[in-house]
Amino acid sequence: MSNRKTNLPGRLPENKPQHLNKQDGSKIWRSLGEKEGEEGFQDALDREFLDGAAQMETEEEREMSRRSFVKLMGASSALAGVGLAACSRPEKLIVPFAESPEWSIPGKPVYYATSMPQAGGAASLVVTTHENRPTKIEPNKRYDENGGTDSFVQASVLDMYDPARSRDILNGGVKRSREELVKALGEMLQAGTRVGVVVGEDESPTRSRLFKELKVKYGAAKFYTYEPLTGEARKQANAEAFGAGADITTDFSKAKVVLSLDSDFLELDKQGPVSGFYKNRFVEGAEYDKKANAKAMNRLYIVEGNFSLTGGMADHRLRIAPSQVVAVAAKIAQACGASVTASGDYKLSDNETLWATECANDLKANAGKSIVLAGTRQTKELQSICIAINTALNNYGKTLKPVITEKTGGNMESLVKSLNAKELDAVILMTPANPVYDAPGFADAAKNAKLIHLGLRRDATAHAADWHIPSAHYLESWGDTRTATGTYSVVQPMILPLYNGVSELDFINFLLSGKLFDSAADGGESSPSYDAVRKTFTGLANDSENSWMKLLRDGFWKKSTYAAVAPRGGGAVSVIVPKAPSAGNYEVVFTTDGSVYDGRYANNAWLQEAPDPISKVCWDNVAMVSPATAREMGVYDTILKLQPKAKVYGIFTAENAGVDPITNEGKNHANPMVSVSVNGKELEVPVMVAFGHADHVISIALGYGHGYDKNDELGRGPLNQDHVSHVSVNRGFNAYSIRTAETTYLASGATAKKTGRKYHLAMTQEHHAMYGRALAREISTLPTEGDHGKDYAAQTAGVKKQGMDSHAPENISLYKPKGSKTWHEEAQANKHLFDERQQWAMTIDLNNCTGCNACLVACQAENNIPVVGKQQVAMGREMHWIRMDRYFSAIGDDENNVEMIPQPVACQHCESAPCETVCPVNATVHSEDGLNTMAYNRCIGTRYCANNCPYKARRFNFFDYNKRNPLIHKNLYKGPLGKKAVGEAPSLQKNPNVTVRMRGVMEKCTYCVQRIQSVKGKVKARLTEKANAAGGSSVDVKITDKELRPKEGSVRTACQDACPTGAINFGNMMLGKDARVMRARDSERNYSLLNYIGTIPRTTYLARVKNPNAKMPDAQLIGRATINMH
Amino acid sequence: MANFFPRWTNLLPLKIGVCIIAVVIGLTTAFSYYGTPKAQRVGYQPDQPIAYDHDLHANQLGLDCRYCHSSVDKSTSAGVPTANTCWNCHEHVAKGSDKLGPLRDAMGVDKDHIVIEGAVKKPIQWVRIHKSPDYVYFDHSAHVNRGVSCESCHGDIHKMEKVHHDKDLSMAFCLDCHRAPEKHLRPLEEVYNLDYDVLAYLEGKDELKGQIGFEKGDSADEAQKKLGELLKKNWSIHPKDSCFTCHR
Repeated sequence: MSNRKTNLPGRLPENKPQHLNKQDGSKIWRSLGEKEGEEGFQDALDREFLDGAAQMETEEEREMSRRSFVKLMGASSALAGVGLAACSRPEKLIVPFAESPEWSIPGKPVYYATSMPQAGGAASLVVTTHENRPTKIEPNKRYDENGGTDSFVQASVLDMYDPARSRDILNGGVKRSREELVKALGEMLQAGTRVGVVVGEDESPTRSRLFKELKVKYGAAKFYTYEPLTGEARKQANAEAFGAGADITTDFSKAKVVLSLDSDFLELDKQGPVSGFYKNRFVEGAEYDKKANAKAMNRLYIVEGNFSLTGGMADHRLRIAPSQVVAVAAKIAQACGASVTASGDYKLSDNETLWATECANDLKANAGKSIVLAGTRQTKELQSICIAINTALNNYGKTLKPVITEKTGGNMESLVKSLNAKELDAVILMTPANPVYDAPGFADAAKNAKLIHLGLRRDATAHAADWHIPSAHYLESWGDTRTATGTYSVVQPMILPLYNGVSELDFINFLLSGKLFDSAADGGESSPSYDAVRKTFTGLANDSENSWMKLLRDGFWKKSTYAAVAPRGGGAVSVIVPKAPSAGNYEVVFTTDGSVYDGRYANNAWLQEAPDPISKVCWDNVAMVSPATAREMGVYDTILKLQPKAKVYGIFTAENAGVDPITNEGKNHANPMVSVSVNGKELEVPVMVAFGHADHVISIALGYGHGYDKNDELGRGPLNQDHVSHVSVNRGFNAYSIRTAETTYLASGATAKKTGRKYHLAMTQEHHAMYGRALAREISTLPTEGDHGKDYAAQTAGVKKQGMDSHAPENISLYKPKGSKTWHEEAQANKHLFDERQQWAMTIDLNNCTGCNACLVACQAENNIPVVGKQQVAMGREMHWIRMDRYFSAIGDDENNVEMIPQPVACQHCESAPCETVCPVNATVHSEDGLNTMAYNRCIGTRYCANNCPYKARRFNFFDYNKRNPLIHKNLYKGPLGKKAVGEAPSLQKNPNVTVRMRGVMEKCTYCVQRIQSVKGKVKARLTEKANAAGGSSVDVKITDKELRPKEGSVRTACQDACPTGAINFGNMMLGKDARVMRARDSERNYSLLNYIGTIPRTTYLARVKNPNAKMPDAQLIGRATINMH
Repeated sequence: MANFFPRWTNLLPLKIGVCIIAVVIGLTTAFSYYGTPKAQRVGYQPDQPIAYDHDLHANQLGLDCRYCHSSVDKSTSAGVPTANTCWNCHEHVAKGSDKLGPLRDAMGVDKDHIVIEGAVKKPIQWVRIHKSPDYVYFDHSAHVNRGVSCESCHGDIHKMEKVHHDKDLSMAFCLDCHRAPEKHLRPLEEVYNLDYDVLAYLEGKDELKGQIGFEKGDSADEAQKKLGELLKKNWSIHPKDSCFTCHR
């Protein structure tokens, strides 16, 4: 048996992480093991790499592979003689278009403006197409409200190429032709038919217009909107307060204080554009051009039960069960002078009362400059309190603007009611949701009517429907929509529908005209939806060709917004606070998932593999409970220990086998399961300890558990196997099954029972750990306590000296000491080693980073990063170039009262990179631009570089993930017999300017070198331009390095483009103060990761600043996670 | 005891050894020659669906390279003309020619150029001659906009009746030029002039001659180098030779 401990006795003492004694645990941690200083975790730290992440499985396996390598080599050299006969050059073809399409230049991307319709307001986008294939989605920078995009938008391009996308028209599961569909629906839908039409919560002016025509044709038609997680209470409360169809648009740029009552408004519960919020978060101004002014920062309060990304950003966070949020809200409302009364059997602790009172005082001091938001899915009472507070604070008309939207129609409740009363003959489902799976009561009620479903996936609803029609993706259809503030935006197609899908507007047109547009057959004509959108736009703006062209170029029509309504005060509110949960009487919270949203992205492999921002679990959902609740359930110690369970010689499984020192990590990591009973239903789920989580509350993310096959670990399959693809099969647990129409968000009175079973989880939180050093640094705007209280300026000045850097001497190179003669002259002489035109650098401002994964997914889309599947992730072999670290840090000594600090870490592009010196084949070397580059074709896969990288930023292709589908059970281990990637479609998404890596090579962040090179290529045309302008001979034209310098903003990396907060800067250092990145680097908050080891990274970080209110409880302890770390 | 092995076998091990060494040396030598891009690529001259004659079009008729390879100064790819580019002329020129069958298929017309109803326009499938490996990213526009002519990599393509691979385009070939670009730089006006002769260019340009230190009797190579040095300086040309220049 091997002993894989590799720590040497001669290890540098100062490199030893702190807090390594078990008694202490840590004050800043990423996982339970780290927090408790658990033995297994320390062992993992000593070994640096996870079992399997850096080596082949076992000694035998390694031995085996060496032997088989020799065998194979022998065989192949023998065969080489035979093979040589076929050594002629393979013939490759160049096939140009028969007719040149407009704008299409081979090798040059074309960009189109479009929008993605969404419930909370459309995202305005620019889509990159290569040779007419959409490959990458970027935010539309022309649209002012846009900061960036979220991970869902970034990943939506993969949905279009999903090989499991629905391709066939189905009638009760049987494939039918278009003609049959047209005939059958023509017979089914007569003028008198009582038809119900269900669409999503997004808004479409053309759809609304066509519905009016539909109402004329089908007199008895009814219209509904439905998405499972958009909530009804807020709509109702708004309608009561401001009139039917009312919504509120928010302007965070004017808000000094924001209070969120259980709303993740920065990420999963968007309530208007948030770019204004982030702009007020920059201490030195959004362009880093002002003097640091801590007073300019906004302040965020949040009251919530389970950690959200918004909670992580908050300056003050109150942890309380979601059902009790209303009690705190009532207290704040009363203190603000709103007429709110609360009754019921509840009691706020002294701390909670103080929190509410001081928060209210801060809000009052900022009346008219504050925003109070309630979670969309919270109760109507809370929504009304929220309106009452905002009214009392005089926020309406200033930071909040009530508007009238065009949203009309019934909801799921009224639809189910109508169905049960047999008031509908046919229901047409065009919503992106999957109501048979996610709407309580719908599946049964739907039996009373014919069901027609237009959708992207062959999901539960598609199978239950009488007719299923494959729909077109938004990148394939014409349409229109509105952003959160009501700006009219166009949805433009980039490509003809891949599987001949039908767009929503085309389908409505079919209902109106009886003619179904066939994009494959009638491709030469414009689709009816184009004409319909154009007609709507003509009514909205004017009918000039110029305006239409402007709309298509910009993607939106600036002059169009929602009509404002006069703010009017809400009446008095009285609420009954429900009983607080207690041990054995738990509260179950159904949360929106950061990866699959409400389940609609379950087939999206990028999102499934992106670690959940909070739990860091990939590919599954779990039940999250607080440490205290876990102890109550009796699973805390089990989670911590995760009993040794290992395969003995690969034959039989034994508890505590004692032969493998590595037991509770990698592919053996399994969490205990509990059976949660609520609403008379039961669900068995694995439990994870979540910090900062309210006690006696179990939160479970929705959207998983669509179907299982025979390979399911818990033996749940085969079940609904045809509802799922390779991506979504056997994934997680269906929490919709225990949710009812009455308890869409909260269900009280739950019990949880330990079942003794375990479930394997792929978690990235302990992967690539850099434990115990001041990595994610933070400071506070409040002066530190004590005699030597440091004010904000002093704390900023100390950022560079936090942690290890406080007593490490300055780094000086032994070979070329800085300031010595050799240093400068050599640099001058070797000009080819230092390019005067460009030197690239990046900064990441932790103050704005929420940890939302948008950059991670954008990087995956841009750089052809493969998906590796759950098992490989569990073994630490995830390929994401950006690792989103998430640290918890205790406020004071309370393990429950925690802050969360995210930190994205990718290759740091060290100026003196440790990886370069150890590569035996010079495959990773430095470029003249200051990039640490990888030549894949040189790499022989020794993995020395990854072992020598202090940031653990390098990823190795253990298998040919791009070629062999890693999502098929055990496929990777079948070698050449394994199935190749399913279908051609996903390869169409690949960026042609980035190499698709093969097995056995190392890869890592390249600073998007393809984008840099493309700009450098463009810059070179400046010579031609200058020569043409000058006339005469080009010989006399002089062009300098300075003129050939890429300008600020010309190179933007994929992560920077996607970042919704503006936290990532990238640019040319040679531009000096003209470059935002250089201004950010000059900020005092700027520091490099592990500065004391002397790698001189080009990526640097800006410390997070917390802006606490001095009067709040624990104010002194906030923002102190690393300040005293030595 | 009798000898098991006859006398002649005494030298057998040596002979076998010599043979093996000879075979190994032979194979190595053969592979290191025949395996190189020079041996593998140079001279490659496949048949094309239309026997397009560069000599006729570019040399005799004087078509500019960029008429067909229109994206060479705009994009990484020089571009192969779409069928309707050819059709601009051939709708009227060489009407009904047997050689132009694939072009008429691509345009969906019959021999008399009458549109065939419902015909699928079948694009012309040209056979690729110059192909860099997938891990090499070459940018045409970055080169032609900086004074590197088509000729430097493709040879006298304008005089080829049937195109063949002229230069080896190996990594050493690229690096040679990146390390000494002055051997190939020419005035921007002359990039697409494949008949360019540096001596002819300098003829009568006495001021320029003085500037570059041209001496009477200098060979074309010497003159090229001297002019190239000036262009390199005036245009700030510092080609890179680190990996990421081409590999990423």
